[in-house]
Amino acid sequence: MSGKPQRPGVAPPRLIGGLAVAALLAFALSLAIGPSGFGLGGAGEAADLIFWEIRMPRAVLGALVGAALGLSGAALQGYLRNPLAEPSLVGVSGGAALGAVLAIHLGLSQTFALALPFGGLIGGAVAMLAVVALAGAHGGPVTLILAGLAVSGIATALISLALNLSQNPFATVEAVFWLMGSLADRSLTQVWLAAPPILAGMAVLLFLGRALDALTLGEDAARSLGIDVARTRLVLVAGTALAVGAATSVTGVIGFVGLLVPHVLRPFVGHRPSLVLPASALAGAIFLLVADIGLRLAQPWMDLRIGVLTALIGAPFFVWLVLKTRAELAP
Amino acid sequence: MRIEARGLRVSLKGREVLRGLSLAAEPGRLTAIIGRNGAGKTTLLKVLAGLIAPHAGTALLDGTDIATWDRSRLARAVAYLPQERLVHWALSARAVVALGRLPYQPFGAGESDADRAAIEAALAAMDAAQLAQRPVPELSGGERARVLVARALAQEPRVLLADEPAAGLDPAHQLTLFQHLAALATAGRTVVVALHDLSLAARFCHTIALVHEGRTLAAGAPREVLSPEHLAAAYGITARYQSIEGVPVVLPLDVLP
Amino acid sequence: MRLGIWLRTLAAAIALATCLGLLAHGVPAQAGAKPARIVSLDLCADQLLIDLVERERIAAVTHLAADPEVSAIWEKGKGIPITHGAAEDVLRHKPDLILAGPFGVAPTVHLLRRLKANVVVVPLASDLDGVRTAVRIVAAAVGEGARGEALIDAFDRRLARIAAGLPQTPAPSAVIYQVGGAVSVAGNLADAVLAAAGFRNKAAEYRLTRGGQVPLELLAASPPDLLVLASAADEYRTVVADNLRHPALGLLRRQRASIEVPWRLWQCGTPHIADAIARLAEVRGALGAQRR
Repeated sequence: MSGKPQRPGVAPPRLIGGLAVAALLAFALSLAIGPSGFGLGGAGEAADLIFWEIRMPRAVLGALVGAALGLSGAALQGYLRNPLAEPSLVGVSGGAALGAVLAIHLGLSQTFALALPFGGLIGGAVAMLAVVALAGAHGGPVTLILAGLAVSGIATALISLALNLSQNPFATVEAVFWLMGSLADRSLTQVWLAAPPILAGMAVLLFLGRALDALTLGEDAARSLGIDVARTRLVLVAGTALAVGAATSVTGVIGFVGLLVPHVLRPFVGHRPSLVLPASALAGAIFLLVADIGLRLAQPWMDLRIGVLTALIGAPFFVWLVLKTRAELAP
Repeated sequence: MRIEARGLRVSLKGREVLRGLSLAAEPGRLTAIIGRNGAGKTTLLKVLAGLIAPHAGTALLDGTDIATWDRSRLARAVAYLPQERLVHWALSARAVVALGRLPYQPFGAGESDADRAAIEAALAAMDAAQLAQRPVPELSGGERARVLVARALAQEPRVLLADEPAAGLDPAHQLTLFQHLAALATAGRTVVVALHDLSLAARFCHTIALVHEGRTLAAGAPREVLSPEHLAAAYGITARYQSIEGVPVVLPLDVLP
Repeated sequence: MRLGIWLRTLAAAIALATCLGLLAHGVPAQAGAKPARIVSLDLCADQLLIDLVERERIAAVTHLAADPEVSAIWEKGKGIPITHGAAEDVLRHKPDLILAGPFGVAPTVHLLRRLKANVVVVPLASDLDGVRTAVRIVAAAVGEGARGEALIDAFDRRLARIAAGLPQTPAPSAVIYQVGGAVSVAGNLADAVLAAAGFRNKAAEYRLTRGGQVPLELLAASPPDLLVLASAADEYRTVVADNLRHPALGLLRRQRASIEVPWRLWQCGTPHIADAIARLAEVRGALGAQRR
């Protein structure tokens, strides 16, 4: 780390700048790659349709959802003071998916399109509150994992139940969508539905930087520094529910982005929670866009799900992280 | 700024910890709070810091009920140093000390010159300037303790509440810490320290409050408070209060049956 | 539909052989009498049964027979007792003949056979000859051979009328685009229907995913002359059917010809698929007229 004192709350400009450029590149690449072979410069009716209606929504959603997942992972880790926290592991994504499934199958999203992200929002909020209540801020990593397992287990069970009971002939296929996530063939409809709550949630979460920094010293010291911890928790729940709830309602559960990204970035920002936040948003977008591009390049015909890919990368990392945390806790 | 407790009653987890405790700490003085484990020292400090609300009695800061103080004003006036030396992330020592300036930095504000000066002064006071760029997990227990005290100092508070700040420090650093705390007090701050080391308390503190079973058993000059009767009642020990080369020493001798 | 006489004879021979084989397996209690308590465990067999036999002789059919979503003769299917296919439930109707489909109920069929029930498996029709075979098999099993032949004759005559009315121009391309992006590939009944209506199935020209789906991008890059949709856009409340609501598909439908032919008309290999062929042939006529 350089000896220059850093302005708190402002990430190293070069890092943010670099991440922003990388995100734009990934976005552009995502627009240029697809099974039809059209690059960025295609002309004609078909190329226009493909670019604006198929590739653009996919790239925008990939960037937004990735950013939402990365940012909420960083915020969760900061508040819970626990590097093992992230939306899918603590059950927020599962709760959001349940909310969305109910919104669809109870017919609510047919009468009122916004019922879909709203369902995700409510589901995500309920799950978050449940986990925070179960594990709290004093729970160690083990308590958190257990609470998260419990909540996401319940959510998954209820999703399966809802789909099982559904008269819908495609229920089993739909379960795969929710549990493994997908960015394929998403349209601008989903973008308009999900983007406002995602952006609102992300804006809310970015305000947590100061409080998360203070929480480094523990809840008592943070409160003595003037931080309202109860309000911080509320803001965290609201922001995560908005961002992750809306994101999951249009892509299904995509896990491990919020676990991996903050952890990788932390050493580059001096481990300060407030600096990890904006960097994680950008890096989360990059990660998901690149993963999606990789999917389309490597196995476009195998219909591999994005959630499977992020799990393949993220789950081994999670195991390593658990072992490392255990080692640090051992006497 | 004077900080005062009047008839505080606090219950935690169904158990009454403070049972009508009253004491006062004056500016310009280093006040020690002593008592056996579980007597209520930490709870008392937390009430004075505004972290716990008593269900009866009041805590007053500068004559006003702490409960009515605006949170950010309170953060600039009172610095609280908890007993657990928690630093959850691997920040550098300087970054930890800089956290003490948060009450002066509204959201989005960067580090001002005043902030920088306060941070550097705090690091220097705790002899931690050379530790500035090192990550806190790599520091020894004593070094970490000094960095955390520096954080509280960086807050430039009128009142400093410290819970066992010297625990785990080597003798040299214990002495310099308390010398610095005493100097802070003399410069006009109110410093309240909870501690176990009766000799340190006797040597550096102008006032000692002996807390026993949630009440103040005795408060006043060290010699008065650290009498054999009080020590027997509060700690269940016999002890000798001595002066060696002009420095007061309290020597625990034996446990009473 | 022009088929070689050779193929027809071969198909008939196979059908007869299968019939004899199956009949040899399951001998009803009263040999020689027509089965009077028939249970069907398969939607397609349901429909054939209902068309061939008086209602009094049907003991039970599946709940799908009266489902307007999947049954071509759902109105006729109303009011018939229902079985959900479990062996115990089936036996409670005391059937002397059980019709089953080739998939999905294999354990039940196995169990029923072990209990010495008379089970006839109706094969899946994957082309128009398969339809005729299925009719013949069911007709033979229920003892209504003559009615079966009559049905097939009517079917053949209708097909011949349709074929005669088709334009002589080169066949336009068509794709049956379904929920989830699935398309009907060659060797399938739906493919045969397209061909009978004078279309060329374009599904073979796209590179499909393992699940038999065509990415929307490919469809948009090289759209067919006719887009056939088997369900309405709002019909299924599921994320899986979002592709039918995708704005890009809407645009494609406006740019090209498209038609909705409900799934129930081609779900099963019964003579009712002629309805689907007729509807498509109409569009074929319109397209053929445009091309001249």
